[in-house]
Order: sequence, then structure tokens, then C-alpha cells
Amino acid sequence: MAVHLLGIRHHGVGSAKHVLAALEEIKPDCLLIEGPPEISEILKNVGDSQLKPPVAIMVYDSNNPKESTFYPFAEYSPEWVAAKWGNDHGIPIKALDLPAAKNFLKRRNKMADKSSEVSNELTEEPYKDPLSILAEAAGYETGEAWWDDHFEHSHGDSIEHFESVRQVMTALREEGLKSGLDQENIDREAYMRLVLTECINEMYGNIVVVCGAWHVPALVDLSVQYKNDQRILKKLPKQKVAVVTTWIPWTNGRLSMFSGYGAGIYSPGWYAHLWNQQDDGEIQWLSKVAETFRESKMDTSTAHVIETFKLARSLSIIREKHYVSLTEMNDAIKAVMCMGDDIMLQLINEKLIIGEEMGEVPDDIPKMPLQEDFEQVIKKLRLKLSAAPKQHDLDLRKEIDRSRSILFHRLEILEIPWLDRATSTNKGTFKESWTSQWAPEMMIAIIDKAFLGNTIESAAQAILIEKAKKSDKINELAGLIKQSIPAELFEELAVLLDKINELSSISSDIIDLIKAIPRLIEVTRYGDVRKSDLSVLNVIVEQLLIKVFTGLPNACYGLDEDNSQEMFEGISELHQSMRIYGNETLELAWFETLNRVMSKEGVNPIIAGCTCRLLLDAQQFDEEESDRLISYALSSNHEPTFVASWLEGFLKGSGMILIYDHRLWNLIYGWVSSLSQDIFMELLPLLRRSFAKFEFGERRQIGEKAKKGLVDQQPVLISADENFDFEKAASILPIIAKFLQVN
Amino acid sequence: MSILRQNAAQEFAEEFENLKAVDSGHIPTGWQMSPQSVVKYLMGGKLKNKFEIVPKYIGDQRLMEIAVATLTTDRALLLYGIPGTGKSWVSEHITAAITGDPTLLIQGTAGTGEEAIRYGWNYAKLLSEGPTPEALVSTPLMKAMQEGKIARVEELTRISADVQDTLITILSEKTLPVPELAMEIQAVKGFNVIATANNRDKGVNELSSALKRRFNTVILPVPNTAAEEVNIVKTRVASSLKTLELPAELPKLEEIQRVVQIFRELRNGVTEDGRTKIKSPTGTVSTAEAISVVNSGLSLAAHFGNGKLTVNDMASGLVGAIVKDPVQDAVVWKEYLETVVKPRDGWKDIYRACKELNIG
Repeated sequence: MAVHLLGIRHHGVGSAKHVLAALEEIKPDCLLIEGPPEISEILKNVGDSQLKPPVAIMVYDSNNPKESTFYPFAEYSPEWVAAKWGNDHGIPIKALDLPAAKNFLKRRNKMADKSSEVSNELTEEPYKDPLSILAEAAGYETGEAWWDDHFEHSHGDSIEHFESVRQVMTALREEGLKSGLDQENIDREAYMRLVLTECINEMYGNIVVVCGAWHVPALVDLSVQYKNDQRILKKLPKQKVAVVTTWIPWTNGRLSMFSGYGAGIYSPGWYAHLWNQQDDGEIQWLSKVAETFRESKMDTSTAHVIETFKLARSLSIIREKHYVSLTEMNDAIKAVMCMGDDIMLQLINEKLIIGEEMGEVPDDIPKMPLQEDFEQVIKKLRLKLSAAPKQHDLDLRKEIDRSRSILFHRLEILEIPWLDRATSTNKGTFKESWTSQWAPEMMIAIIDKAFLGNTIESAAQAILIEKAKKSDKINELAGLIKQSIPAELFEELAVLLDKINELSSISSDIIDLIKAIPRLIEVTRYGDVRKSDLSVLNVIVEQLLIKVFTGLPNACYGLDEDNSQEMFEGISELHQSMRIYGNETLELAWFETLNRVMSKEGVNPIIAGCTCRLLLDAQQFDEEESDRLISYALSSNHEPTFVASWLEGFLKGSGMILIYDHRLWNLIYGWVSSLSQDIFMELLPLLRRSFAKFEFGERRQIGEKAKKGLVDQQPVLISADENFDFEKAASILPIIAKFLQVN
Repeated sequence: MSILRQNAAQEFAEEFENLKAVDSGHIPTGWQMSPQSVVKYLMGGKLKNKFEIVPKYIGDQRLMEIAVATLTTDRALLLYGIPGTGKSWVSEHITAAITGDPTLLIQGTAGTGEEAIRYGWNYAKLLSEGPTPEALVSTPLMKAMQEGKIARVEELTRISADVQDTLITILSEKTLPVPELAMEIQAVKGFNVIATANNRDKGVNELSSALKRRFNTVILPVPNTAAEEVNIVKTRVASSLKTLELPAELPKLEEIQRVVQIFRELRNGVTEDGRTKIKSPTGTVSTAEAISVVNSGLSLAAHFGNGKLTVNDMASGLVGAIVKDPVQDAVVWKEYLETVVKPRDGWKDIYRACKELNIG
């Protein structure tokens, strides 16, 4: 019986090469790899041609997918390389470490202890490297650099390599150097020994253990620790946790972060390059760099590549290294290709050193139903999950684009941030633009939502209903309806509408209603493009409108300044929507309501002014009446502040009417000149508030007009040129009429 | 007669002796010591024989490594950066360390002509004897090629573009053709060029991309931290005290720290604590200026004071270094004085001293 302990650095390319060589030499009949025992089963998938790294094993509690740990693998991760070898040679593979279930429980207990602190599930404590002490002594900047120099770039015999790793680690541990994870390691290593002992008892004759170098010394002598281990293991929490494991795609960007294996790597792209290239790796890397620069339109010649290579070599000689590391590469690239400038190196860092690769997971790996549905849907819609941003311009008249749009809207409801609305370059309701950028955490977010339903559709629906139940504002519900229509979630529409009905009957909040209706009206317009049945909605809108019609005048009574401002905006917005809605009976009723608001005593002048203007614009007054109304509002018996607010509401941010309507102009002109100096000074700030909102050009024209004073009421006939051809000019009138849709 | 300022090779002759004595690395042809020793000379430290090397460059060792490694290849080195970051200083010391001769220097100006870079003619001889090798007037660059040494070109970007481009053949083919004599001067191994250029001045001539390609560029940054900068000023002031033979005491560290702080704050446009925004003056306020402020303060103290550096000695130099434009900078300085210096604890003396000078 022999146990071979291969101490590695997670994601270390050199370690991986040595592991492969050692496995070839040892030819074990059983392979143990660091990781919770739950993942043993799923490790069988390693080597499947459809499982393309970077991928990660996600270990989660099926009752609470949020509780999860990830074990990422790159193609050059020693664990991955070992598992692949094991599968290729058909030997059993087991994971040895503390079970994830125990970890979850421990974490839960810890959280309960100090519930105030909510730690991020994805990132555990950063790995404090005991090697750094050794590295400092040897004059290296980091422990990583020391390890790199001594173990990653050693080309000697692999068995000897692992023996020296064991000796170094044993020496370090005997020194009593602390690792940041010591406390955790006690439990973990006890369990590791347990698994290893079991394995030996199963009579495997030639066992290989691949684990983090730090753990190697702990696994050498099993019998000595046995009793102590039993005690430690007894103390571990024992509740049952339904742990599920699955493969999920990972990206290089995420590989460079801390996660389940503790060690994050800063340069996944560079490591992948080292793994794949045997000879001339440096030159090939530099030509990739040159290619990347050329793609972003920076002239980079072959001579640059040659010179960079020469400089990198010289640098590594000066730094007394026997290989060219990424540091030398970057320094040389900066000096030769980038004119000493760091900014361009960042491009290389993004594109090459980290890289944009994303892994793939075969379809037959067991998944959460929601995740499976998601993957099927995107496959059907021919969408790709890529880490690079992509723009989708959808034409909603096409079947597939419409389905995509539906999916995108549903994902938006699910709060999966894969897509972002982009501003469409093409105007028109049948066009939509989105940009997509995938990140692995989105898959986690999807798995996290798995409890909501088994399909994207049902999950989105569940969220909407959930939100609807919680909401007590019609406005919010209208927002939900607006979200659900483009997502074609009609089943819950009834629930939402019922809820609106229910709320509207008890709600006395007219502002809420006023704000909700425009949203609903917008939705009814959407319906046409999307071929969906919205007759119910129309009924609701009508009902709500009737409520507004009856309630509005009273709601406007006795409001203070702030609330009036809000009401004033709400009324303007609703007015716009009413014009769009195009239901004549309702429109007439609306005008009638506005009329009542306007003539009601005790309504804030800003609202009165606003309604007057809306009605005037809608040509609801004849000349005489409007004349009367305006002069009434401006009459000198009114408090000057009243008039000023009224004007603010009336002018509503547009001064055009003052320029073209001479009648109105004369009225206002007359009013202003009737003010005494004191009162004028007093009103100035108020007036300024309304006039300041006008366009600069408008203000200038008004100023010029004011210089001239009162205007002759008769519109001046523009004396036409003698050559003016009335007949020809008239010929375009029908076309213009057609555009304006007037007869 | 004593020399005002010794060049690097003379001043640090002892260091070179010791470095050569313990050098164990591979020495490239034409060099007097190994590249590792050159880096050691620049960065300072203790040698195996306990000899202490004074640091010449205080900052990132990686930059010096890149610079030296460049010279081991056949590419030329371009030191780039804003004025006062030590470009010429580094160039002189690298050259001194590699060849022992930092004197082959071409000062670039707008008026530098081709004959200052390639070769000129002794016209009297040219007229009487026609073109002969004796009539040729060599330049530092030509001499460096013949002797396998390093030529330094200061302020490369001040030289007009067409003259700059005469460097291209020399740098890529390492040869200097003399068509008048139907001959060429081929560079001996060890030849290379170190150029310096600054990216702040107006009216500079950008390098053509053909020429750029012949250079590896190292950008020398302004010091990262206040501590680093204080260290630079302290070292340089101490050495100039020696060469200028000033009967003054070494200034207190605290005084240097204050000067450096003022310079850093004005340069970065924000106070050290990051709370107050400050306007920056029009000129550069680099470490080199900080050094000269302390130096001039010291000489004032030595000749007109009691030999101890006081705030009053420094104030005039300080104001002179910062207020380069009498209108704009005076405003900047006054604002800084009133809003930052005045309320600062223990800075009253500086405030009063500067206020007395009545600038602006």
C-alpha cells in the first residue's frame, strides 16, 4: 500500500504539469482530490468534451440556493488535470475535505452568533499565505513569487518535486507559522484524514492525493491523529442539509477572484497560455499582444515583437530569473510597444492577461429546472451567453425577435441583469434595442430564483404576483402591468387587475390614480403591436377615469404649494395621455372635469391656471369666453401673488402663447403695468420662476415684444409679394391637412 | 582651481571601484560592470564587501531595471517625463556606470543642427584641402560610435523634427555614412544612445513614429509618496551641501517635509488630507524645484544668517519657485497661503515669512 501526497498550488500551471507527470509515473488505482465529498460524483464529468473550462462546481443547499460555495476550475488547474486523468484511466475519484453540509451549518451558526455581520457568500476570507514569510526571508515580494520561482518553474523529476514541496511545508508547519485559515483547517484536515483512512481501508493499493500544499504534512501520519480526529469530528454540527452539486459555466474574470479554493489568480489568460504552449511561449504571447494592439488600431510591427522579446529576456537576466515571467513581459511591452505608458497595458490586461473566455457545460448535467428552462429557451431563441457585450436590435414584427423581447422582459422582471435596454437608433414602436453581457453570477442569480417556479415564465409571474400582493399603490400596480404586458405574462394580469379594482374602490388617493392612468394607457397602446388582448385593461382604465372625474375637483381643494405642484404635474401628464388615448366620450368628460376644477373656489391658482391653459389649448373655449376667463383671473382685485401663481400654471413652461396670442399678451401687459412698483418688486421672484423656464429664444422675443408695448389687436395681414402664386401655395394644403389629420 | 560640480564618474569613482571588485555577473562587451551592478549603483545598498552604495534614484527599482536591460539590447533608451523628475540625472548616472564616461553629451535645442549630431566640417581645411578625414569635425555621438560608448542626447524633443530623424540610421543600422569621403563610421560594440525628453513644455517636436520605434521608453514619474520625495530632497541637499562647501548645518527633516508637502499639494491640486481643492500653478513644481528651494535657503542661511536654515531663508526661494507667472501664479499662491497655510497648526511661521515678501 502506498499513499502519494501531491501538494499543489490551486490553479498553478507548474503544479498541474507535475501532477500529470507524477500520475503517469505512479499509475494509481485511486485518486483523492481536495474538495467536499459531495462533489465526488460530479467530478466524473471532468473530461467530457462538452464540459469546457473555465467551469465551476456549485455546491448549494437545495432549500436555500443562496447558501452556496463554488469550486472553479481552469483547464490548467491541477485538480482538473488530475480528475481528467483519473476519468480517462477509469479509476475511482473521491473528494476529500470537510463536507459542504458541515460548512454550511458552521457558517450558519457563526452567522447566528454575530448576526449583525452579513458576509458575502461568494468570497470567503482571503487566503493568508504562510509562504510569504519564507518569501520575505528569501527576498521575494510575495509568497506567490517565491512559490513561482521554486516550484512552478522547476522542470525536474515530478516525484522529487512533490517530495520537496512536502519537506518545505513540513518545515513551515513545524515552525508554527500561522495560516489565516488555521481554525478552519483543524476540522478540514481531520475530515481529510478520515476520508483517506476510509480509502485505505477499502484496500486500494496505490493512492494519489492532490491537495493544497499546506495540507500535505497533515496527511502524512494518519494513526497518530486518529483519536483526536474522532473527537473533533464529533463536535461538528449534525443537522441534515440537502446539498446539491452542479456544474456552471465560469469566466476568466471570475477565476481571478477569491472563491471556494481560497486562492484567486490574477492572470488566468496568461496561465492558460503557459499551459497550452510548450516551446516559444514568450514569442507566441507577444504576437498575441501585437495582434490585440493591431485590432485596436495601434501600429505594432514584427520588429516591436522582436525588440520586446529581447528586452524581456534581458530583464529576466538582470532580475536573475531563469524564466521570463509576466512581470518582465509587461515591463518590456510597456517600454517598447506602449511608449512607457500604462494605459495601453490595461487593454492587454483585460483582453489577454485575464481574458474573456467563458466555460460551457453539457446539457445532460442535472440542473435546477429553472436553469434548465432558461438554457432551453435561449437555445431555442438562438441566443448566446457571452462575456463580451453584444447588441440586439429586435424587430418586433418578426416572430423570433418578439419571442426574444418577451424573454428579455421576463428576465428584467426576474432582475437578472444580463440585459440592458439600449437606446434604439431606430424610432418606432416595433423596434427594441438591448445589450447583453453575461457573467457567471447571473446563473447563480437564476439558480437563486429557482424556488419561484420551474420556468422563466412562471418564475417571473410569481415575482409579479408577489410584488402585487405587497403593493398598496395603484401606481405601482400599473407599473407592474406595464412590465407584464411586453413580457406576455397574461395569467397574472387578472390578479393585478383585481387588485387594482380592489384598491381603487377603497383608495381615495387621487394623485396615485392620476399617476397610474398614464402608465395604463401607455400599455393599452403597446397591445396593438404585441397582438395581445387588452380589452380588460380598457375597462379598468375607464373605471379609473370615472373615479378621477368625480374625485378630482374635490382633490384639488385646499392643497398647499407642494401638493399643488404635484397635482399640477399629474394633471398635465394625464391630459397628454387622454389626448393619446383617443376616446372622445371620455375626453369630453375630462374637459368637463377640468372645467369644474377651474371654476371651483379654493383651488390653488397654479392648478386653475394650468387647467385653463389645457382647455384653451384643446380649443374648448370660444374667443369671448377665454377672454373673459383670462381677464377674470388677471383682474386687479385678485391678490397679486394669486395672479402670479395662476400665470405660472397657465404658462406651464412655454412662452410661445405670449408671442403669438396678441389678445392674451395685451391682457397680461395691462396687468403688469397696473402693478405698483412695490408690488411688482414683491412679485418679481414669482414671475421670474415661471419665465425662467422658457427657452432663451422665447424670452428674447417676449422682451422685444414688451418693448413695443400693447399690440394692435387686429392681426396684421402680411402683404404678399406681387409674384406670390396663391394657387400654387394652396396646392400643398391638402397634403399638409393629411399629415395633420384634419379635414 | 576646484570644479564646481564633478561629473558622476568622478564623484562616485570609489563606488565604481568597489562595484567592479565584487561584480560576479556577466559583463556585456564595452561595459565596465554587469547590468546587475549598474542597477545596484543606481538603487544603492550594501555590497558584499560591506561597502555602502548611495542611492542615486529613489523610486521604483523596476524602472531602472527596464532602463538598464534596454541598454543590453541594441535599442536606445528614451527617458520621458515632466521636468524635474530626474531624467538627466538618471541618464548621467547610467552612462557613468556603464561606460565610466558621461561626457559624450549633446544638448538639444531648437537650434541644434545636423552637424551637431552627425559631423561638421572645419571649413578652413575643407576649402584648402578639400574633403579629407582631417577636415571632419566629430560630434559626441560620432565619438561614442567609434569608442563603443554611450552618447546622451538631452531634450530630444526640442530638436527640430528633420534633425531628429538623422538619428534613425544611426540607431537602426549602427552606422554613420560620410558620403563626402565615401566611407562610413561603424559603431563599436557597446555603443548606444540615451535620450531625455519632457512632455510638459509647449513647442516641442513630437518624435516621428519611425524614430519612436528605435527607442524603448521609460516614463519617470513624480514621486509616489511624500516620504519618498522627502528622501530625495534630503539626499540631494546633503550632497550639494558638500560640493558647494556651504558652512550651513543640514536642515531639519521637518523643514524638508514642509517644503515637500507644499510642492506636492500644489502639484496634485489637493491637500494631503484630500479635503481641500487647490489651484495648481502654471509652471511645474517638481522635486527638482523643491531641492533648489532648500539649497538656496541653505546658502542664504550660510551667508546671511547664522548657518541654521530658518523659514525666512526658505520663503523667498519657495515663492520664487512657485510664482513663475506674476499674475496667475500669484493668485494661486496667495489663495494657497490664506486657505491652507494660515490655518494649519504650527505653520504660522511660514505664513508670516511668506506674507512679509508681499507677493501679489
